[in-house]
Amino acid sequence: MSKACHSVIKVENLAKSYGGFQALSGIGFEVKRGEIFGFLGPNGAGKTTAIRCMLDLIRPSSGLLRIVGYDPQRDPVAVRARCGYLPGELRLDENITVNSALRFLRQLRGGDSACRRRAGALSERLELNTASKIKNLSKGNKQKIGIVAAFMHQPELLLLDEPTSGLDPLVQQTVMELVAEAQQGGATVFFSSHVLTEVQAVAGRVAIIRDGRIVEVAATSDLAARGTVEVRVVFAAPVILEKSQLAGLAGVELINSDDDGRFIQLAVTGKMDALVKWLADYPVASLETRQCGLEQAFHAHYGSEQEPAGGH
Amino acid sequence: MAPFWTIFRFSSWRLRWTILGWGIPLMLLGLITVPFYDLVAENERQLRPVIQGLKPLVKSFIGGEEAEEIFTPQGFLALRYFAFLPLILGIFSAVAGSGMLASDEERGILDFLLAHPANRASVFFGRLLTLCCALIAILGLGWIGLWCGVLRAGSLHFSPGQLLLPYVSVLAVSAFFMTLALALSMMMPSRVTAAMTTGFIVLAGEIITSLAKAITQLEVAARFSPLTYFQANAMRDLHIRPVLGLLAFALLFSWLAWLGFQRRDIRVAGDGGWKFPFPARRK
Repeated sequence: MSKACHSVIKVENLAKSYGGFQALSGIGFEVKRGEIFGFLGPNGAGKTTAIRCMLDLIRPSSGLLRIVGYDPQRDPVAVRARCGYLPGELRLDENITVNSALRFLRQLRGGDSACRRRAGALSERLELNTASKIKNLSKGNKQKIGIVAAFMHQPELLLLDEPTSGLDPLVQQTVMELVAEAQQGGATVFFSSHVLTEVQAVAGRVAIIRDGRIVEVAATSDLAARGTVEVRVVFAAPVILEKSQLAGLAGVELINSDDDGRFIQLAVTGKMDALVKWLADYPVASLETRQCGLEQAFHAHYGSEQEPAGGH
Repeated sequence: MAPFWTIFRFSSWRLRWTILGWGIPLMLLGLITVPFYDLVAENERQLRPVIQGLKPLVKSFIGGEEAEEIFTPQGFLALRYFAFLPLILGIFSAVAGSGMLASDEERGILDFLLAHPANRASVFFGRLLTLCCALIAILGLGWIGLWCGVLRAGSLHFSPGQLLLPYVSVLAVSAFFMTLALALSMMMPSRVTAAMTTGFIVLAGEIITSLAKAITQLEVAARFSPLTYFQANAMRDLHIRPVLGLLAFALLFSWLAWLGFQRRDIRVAGDGGWKFPFPARRK
């Protein structure tokens, strides 16, 4: 059944309220098989609520949900068997060892030997000490248990709710590699985050959620192209530039420069061709570019009231 | 069925220290209490007038009209050992029953567990079975201790089967309180409130049942106390109807708790505070 579906996640008019508080107000989107879908929004926007509805941990007030072809309320076990879930802050029984926790979670999934081998390999890769008691682990190491549990059964769909929360940069990198490998293996990844850079790095499409409403669903590349490119140029010798010298370059604006003429920062809208040709006349030591599309789209929807993490 | 047994095995393993923590003291209580019977029996001539001279209200707390039964082996065990068990196990039941799901839910553990392929029925009934087995194991340890005490004392002549009968009644009362706490934990906003409410019902029931032996006006109220239906002196004759009645209530509470759990939005850590309608404090 699930294999026949093109959409791995289908959400239509999904609403969830807690008493008078509307956590989700009729959101809708689809995630296609094999894609990495970013779900972007600041804390409290409704990202976790949407994921918890998908796993039938909470029941929506109204709307339609189809996860890997199943209705989570009717077939929660079928959905969970095909999903790997990683919450932002993993909580486990503190008095057991990592090994016991993983064995228990593996047995809930049927406990096959391939799953055990993968759990072992993932633990090694993440340098997770499985003999240690969970209460003795740091937050990041606890999160690694969740990563192993989410990936060990090679799920069709990965629901990752701020998966890199509390992890050091090296492990964050490993997680992003695991996400990419899972996609190459045919898995679909639903990646919720408020860290713009990591979403931009892995997601093919992005939904931006604000106050329980989807404000935009677009390809990450479209969002990136829509915005400006920030260009940082370091010169090998001092170059004194006047703003008027850049006036002839369409879509190029000088943002910043230092007094001794060694560095300039530019914002470029549109094609880079004219700028590159113009720079050819100067002794350029290094040139760095950064797409600001996703960050700009985020700020456009949130204004100055929310500050995303890791935008740079 | 596989997740059910996985949850049952794992939950039982998690409860192993709880079982020993409650069972061993109960075992020791039996071992220590029984030898005192000989001392009480030897001093019957001095003690009986003291008991007879007690005011009815005071007497009600040591068994009322049955207080003088303390000089018989059956009465001694009923008054000095079994009478305390519903209170002791009532506290265990309130804590264990309210914590069966709500404790893990408030700690955020249930959320992650239910994201795995285990349906709510497996989690609920797997854990309920674990608690029932834990209760039976604790009572079993207590029974072993009491039996060893009886063997050591030599002057009390009860078979192991006879000693088991009051435990059946304790089991029924404890199951009542445990499932009540479980049902309340599914209705109230926090585990602590459910445990406290059940604990209050246990204590209020004990006081009302005791006082009703001296104050006739309380007899009607005592009918609603589950402890009225507890049979401490059932060594030679256990009435099955009160036991079945208490177990029927336990089933009803379990069913109510199951309904609550089925429809429940699983909370994440940090939720579950009790919001009293007090005016906001000034900062």
